[in-house]
Amino acid sequence: MATTQPIKKKKIKVPQVVNGVPTEVEIEVDDVAGPTWGANDKHRLLNTRIPRSDGPAKTTGTAIYTFDVRLPDMQYGRFVVSKHARANIKSIDTSAAEKIPGVTAVVPFAKSVRYEGEPIVAIAAKTREAANDAVRAVVVEYEPQPFVVVAEDSMKPGAPQIFPPSNRRQVQGNADEVAAAFKDCDAVIDVEYRTKIMHHACLETHGVVVDYRGGDTATVYASTQGTFTVPGDASKAMGLKQSDVTCIVQHMGGGFGSKFGMGIAGLWGCKLSKQLGVPVKMMLTRRDEFLTGGNGPGSIQKMKAGATKDGTLVACHSIIHGLAGVGRANIAGQPYQYKATTFFREQTPVNTNEDASVAMRAPGFPQASFAIESLMDELAEKIGMDPVQFRIKNVTNESHKRQLLRGAEAIGWANRPAKAGSTPGHLKRGFGCGIGAWGGGGGPKCIVNLVIGRDGTVTAESGSQDLGTGTRTYVRAIVAEELGLGMNDVLEKIGSSKFGDANASGGSTTAASLAPAVKDAAFNARVALAKLVAPLLGAQPDAVTFENGKVLGNGKSLDWKQACMTVPAAGLSVQGQWQPGLSGNGAHGASFAEVEVDVETGHIRVVKMCHVQDGGLILNRLATESQINGGMIQSLGMALFEERVMDRRLGVMLNPNFGEYKLPGCLEMPELIPIIDDGDTREAVIGIAEPANIPGVGAVANAVYNACGVRVRDLPITPDKILNGLYPAKA
Amino acid sequence: MQSNGEPKPQGPITGVSRRSFLKSVGATALAADALATTAAPAADAPAAAAADPDGIVRGETSIQLTINGQARTVTVEPRTTLLSALRDRLEPALTGPKLVCDAGTCGACTVILDGKTAYACSLLAIDLPGRQITTVEGLGTPDKLSPVQAAFCEKDAMMCGFCTSGFVTSVTSLLRANPDPTPEQIREGCKGNFCRCGTFPHIFAAATAAAETIKKTGVKA
Repeated sequence: MATTQPIKKKKIKVPQVVNGVPTEVEIEVDDVAGPTWGANDKHRLLNTRIPRSDGPAKTTGTAIYTFDVRLPDMQYGRFVVSKHARANIKSIDTSAAEKIPGVTAVVPFAKSVRYEGEPIVAIAAKTREAANDAVRAVVVEYEPQPFVVVAEDSMKPGAPQIFPPSNRRQVQGNADEVAAAFKDCDAVIDVEYRTKIMHHACLETHGVVVDYRGGDTATVYASTQGTFTVPGDASKAMGLKQSDVTCIVQHMGGGFGSKFGMGIAGLWGCKLSKQLGVPVKMMLTRRDEFLTGGNGPGSIQKMKAGATKDGTLVACHSIIHGLAGVGRANIAGQPYQYKATTFFREQTPVNTNEDASVAMRAPGFPQASFAIESLMDELAEKIGMDPVQFRIKNVTNESHKRQLLRGAEAIGWANRPAKAGSTPGHLKRGFGCGIGAWGGGGGPKCIVNLVIGRDGTVTAESGSQDLGTGTRTYVRAIVAEELGLGMNDVLEKIGSSKFGDANASGGSTTAASLAPAVKDAAFNARVALAKLVAPLLGAQPDAVTFENGKVLGNGKSLDWKQACMTVPAAGLSVQGQWQPGLSGNGAHGASFAEVEVDVETGHIRVVKMCHVQDGGLILNRLATESQINGGMIQSLGMALFEERVMDRRLGVMLNPNFGEYKLPGCLEMPELIPIIDDGDTREAVIGIAEPANIPGVGAVANAVYNACGVRVRDLPITPDKILNGLYPAKA
Repeated sequence: MQSNGEPKPQGPITGVSRRSFLKSVGATALAADALATTAAPAADAPAAAAADPDGIVRGETSIQLTINGQARTVTVEPRTTLLSALRDRLEPALTGPKLVCDAGTCGACTVILDGKTAYACSLLAIDLPGRQITTVEGLGTPDKLSPVQAAFCEKDAMMCGFCTSGFVTSVTSLLRANPDPTPEQIREGCKGNFCRCGTFPHIFAAATAAAETIKKTGVKA
């Protein structure tokens, strides 16, 4: 009698990302053998340098982003936004705006505002110009309320309360034990580090084009990190069934954690399109993007740590405040990637009348990394130990040791002045380093549909989105490699909620979630096609192989198109799902920087940076190097340039534009050396976008100190802070 | 009247030309009373090339621009930027140049105007009849990439791609003027553009590679 063996199950941990912030959950999966990637150095396409498949579209201006969508009769939406940091709205006079020719909708919706830039009125008009006129013509009468826009002010007793009082203090560790441990330390550092609220500065602002001309169905083109985060809310806003709303994300101009869901621009795009019966483009202006498009939290981190002369980090006490605006902010716990014999940490968010902080590339990690890496350097100097050796002694993960040594060699660590500020002359060189780690990893969500047509076309479909990370390219490469085809023989279709389900791109989990599903689909397609072709070759199906556009078996060969004649008229259609054995988690890296500080002007030039990053199976080395470069460059911006500047008296942001919110540009670019750590031989996909962004800021800060002897603990490190450190005012 | 925090009022609304408005009230009063004087022909009224005896254009007007070597007719207001004319008004649109900062700081809207790069967000379309305007679409197509476009693909000089059109255009203009630039000259040539994803090193590498291709093949940048 045939008995069905119950499928064995196993429990595994996978990341679960909510609004870009990852946590871990345990799930149960089938314990069966599926496809495997094979050795990392044995791939034909994967782990090589593959030009991205959408390169020709992006370099010729023919890639259509949400901001580029233009439909017949489309109108332009805009918001009137608050000019006050906190106010009740007494009245809104829309009459002048409504009289402007071409203006079709002026809809007030807010009764109070909690920050400058909070939307108050939604507007639609037939031309961009008329929409702008209408914004200026709306008259809002405010009743200003007490506000606070600076964290220090907000922490004072009697400061205006933004939310009802509640205890949001999180505590870990034993403060008494830590205090006692300091007695045994040979060196103790007790300081405060600060990082500023930063902006994602996505070049494509938040927004949508909503195409709802009545009837049962609507299409929402959205600049979002999650194709499937849009249809639910959009259908509610338009009173439609969720299945009748399609979200399209063909190309996407940057997210960095700020673009989950459709946001307020999406909500009003939907409402206005429904009201007017025409398509509406609702993209934030650059100024509104700065004021209401989200931001990355700042931090105040009071740290006290001690070490013994042998280089052991003994105790670490940290009191951490995330600067969250009207949102939440989580800063990674200290001592981050280092083991301290004993630690205590306390975390409390500080709210101000500013837009809510949201996830931003490795949420809360670059901030924590800057503080602990600076602190590690300060301790290393005090006990007279080389900073690389001090780190190697205290890291929690073995990979970091390998990466620190590799990076030290690449940057020329041997040239580091042993004493800070000791280079002769006024241009002083210095070196610094830092380490970072991130969970990444994949989980079950993605469904990939793959169709092989009778004409030999191969199409892989997934609703997932490409933020510029190279999703399209690796989807194509995985399928091409499995089926023995070239990159141009496969077509990927992504970015539509009509395709297979996919997770939103947060926590560096996209590749590790999607790539296994693509591999599974391609594997299933190969097995299914082999079965169909085997009789033609006179071979057993499992002896059929696919190479160089040919299908081989029993000493015979068919070219790809001949083989595909065996598939049904509707095509050979298979599905793939995430398989646990194909993704891993835990990515580690180390950054190094060499800088030059002019001690006459305070000017800082980063000469060279390198970043060593592991990531298991690298799907595309070229795109991975791009990502590592991008991580270093964003670290450079955080270290030296970027800060949201607030006027504490008026409650307004002083630099909501790219003229004054300084991003790193061509002239600030150091030599950049991205290094993929092939010492990591895990045959599994692990996302690396966020980890590459973590340790660079500490590396730059430490290099600045090593160059000129000024320890700046308050980012960004600007020339005035260097000069104040070098030549302090006399009391 | 309150300005709702708009940072840089563009001056006139429909029906009042930029210049007549500036002459009549002076730049400092721009924010305040502009709208009170509104008594305008409809913004969506048929294009009336209403040049007054004083030569000032009011309302929407139809103009002819030379874009990528073709004569293109487009209806604009006097204050319509070249960028908005290309993206929002031209049929069919040219959306290669991107709207990012709208303030002449980022370079994503870069076009080539009579052989030199210019920010399309900072030019008025109405000033440009008779000028040669080249957008990224005029440099090559996906099937026939220009040497610069091909080099950007080969070197992976893009991630999200929103700045890419502008960089391709700037590098092209640079190589037309200077076919053999030094690394410093490449940085100078691109300094009016920026990228948030962090593709700069690959952009510099692409510019160098494109210069080599052009030298070898003699193909125009």
